[in-house]
Amino acid sequence: MAYDGREGHLSSALSCTDLLVALYNGWLNVSPDDPKSANRDRFYFSKGHACTALYATLADAGFMPKQTLASYGKTDSPLPNHSCRHALPILENSAGSLGHGLGLATGALYGLRLDNNPSRAVVLMSDGECNEGSVWEAAMFAAAQKLDRLLAIVDNNGLQAVGRSDVLMGHTSLEEKFRAFGWSARTINGNNMTEICDALAAVPFAPGRPCAIIAKTVGGSGVKFMEDQVLWHYRTPSEEEMKRALAELGESPLHKELTHA
Amino acid sequence: MRKAFAEALLQAAEKDPRVIFLTGDLGFGTFDAFQARFGPRYVNVGVAEAQLVCAAAGLALEGWRPIIYSIASFATGRPFEQIRISLGYAGVPVVVIGAGGGYTYASSGVTHHAGEDLGLMSLIPGMTVVAPGDPNEVAQLLPQLLKLSGPSYLRVGKYGEPAYQADDAVVLGRARLLREGDRADFAVVSTGQIASVVLDAMELLKPDGIAPTVMQFHTVQPLDTAALDALADKVHTIIVVEEHLPVGGLAAGISTWRAARSDGPRIVRLGPPHALVLGNPTVPEMRKRLGFDAAAIAAMCRTIGRPAARGGILSTANARLTSDPT
Repeated sequence: MAYDGREGHLSSALSCTDLLVALYNGWLNVSPDDPKSANRDRFYFSKGHACTALYATLADAGFMPKQTLASYGKTDSPLPNHSCRHALPILENSAGSLGHGLGLATGALYGLRLDNNPSRAVVLMSDGECNEGSVWEAAMFAAAQKLDRLLAIVDNNGLQAVGRSDVLMGHTSLEEKFRAFGWSARTINGNNMTEICDALAAVPFAPGRPCAIIAKTVGGSGVKFMEDQVLWHYRTPSEEEMKRALAELGESPLHKELTHA
Repeated sequence: MRKAFAEALLQAAEKDPRVIFLTGDLGFGTFDAFQARFGPRYVNVGVAEAQLVCAAAGLALEGWRPIIYSIASFATGRPFEQIRISLGYAGVPVVVIGAGGGYTYASSGVTHHAGEDLGLMSLIPGMTVVAPGDPNEVAQLLPQLLKLSGPSYLRVGKYGEPAYQADDAVVLGRARLLREGDRADFAVVSTGQIASVVLDAMELLKPDGIAPTVMQFHTVQPLDTAALDALADKVHTIIVVEEHLPVGGLAAGISTWRAARSDGPRIVRLGPPHALVLGNPTVPEMRKRLGFDAAAIAAMCRTIGRPAARGGILSTANARLTSDPT
């Protein structure tokens, strides 16, 4: 997709793919048969630049035909290079500007609770996104309102657009920050499926508190020459790089599989 | 005006169980009755305007009709990004209330001035922007904003603005005729609470026998260009009085309308210049100093109303576009 659509952000997409796969394979109460069901869990994908991972997961989970992935990044596609709810209405939110998803989720949950609706809300956001003050405004609100059906997952790949998040955050702990804001939080290996599933199974961690999972991930996870390289935040792969990456993953693109079938 | 808003809010919430009110830690005492009556439909998010907007957007996505409240300078400028993306891009029906819009808090200093609120909000595609002139217009417009499918901004003043009488109904998107002109071929138009000052100016003009058409454009966006077209058939000059910067407000909107026509009335603006207002003046002092109090409006009407002023319209138009006292 990144090669066909001439759009990068592979590092950010690959780091959160395991998290998305875990969420969409049994944990989230969502169904392609009724994608707008009133009781569905609300999933806010807040790191819109990494939407290739979201699109592939949605197609894999049956929310759209796999062929649709071939249109990624093309003009007027339902799959633009930053996820857009106007283009793809099954999404809960548009994304591309960081620091909006957590606030949206808190407002939605507050309203759902007034409606006695037991739906949960999950936000997948980036560690760079946690540079934004609005994330902490939302975190404060979630704790004050005791929104314990809220789960924030931080894709802590340590890489930002031009720097490393650990340096930019002064070598401080995201888990401690969320705890200080009144959340229950735990840190896991976000590229280890067992650890992800165990953490998700333990949600909610504590009654009356919103939950944060700090998922330590590797940018570009699964492709050795991309792993932990700031370069791959923006870089679009050449044909040769694409082939190398696919060979390493032992995969072929979902949409290409179908074309050749 | 704020009392009228609090009452209109109560009525709206009574009528529609989906109306929910969120404040950015402002309005001490103003919403006690609402809170007592509606409990969890009153939410204080704290001094956190970005969260105020995003939480409202999340509520709107779940079918609620949020009304969010802060001081105009904090309600518009601070969370501009959140309003632009989480309200504008999402296209959700949230009503943003900017209390003390314009220079209501002139004496509190520049941090509290909101001379750009209408402009900022008008920049956002799909945003409806209104600035009522008196408590009645607040009460009439709030229910109409709640029927919109997209976001809106309502500028309210403070307490105790005078109410005025006019036969014309308060209809969202339509300019309101406040005074029919009498043998005068120019008009005075306004937005926001300066309308009552314009009407004061009309009283000052009575001994002169000058009675221009007076219209209140409580809706700034979308601008009622049909009303302007109709006015253009009748007048050679429109005096625009606004408590807003010259960029992005009513005068700018009317100038854009005028520029798209091959001919039409000359536009004269009275209002604050594009400059900081330092010195913490009271509102009357500020309006006097910046040349848009009742006396200044009346003086401009006398100048425009004199037959001699009708020549050389184009040559003087630019010179009249600002009210800069220098």
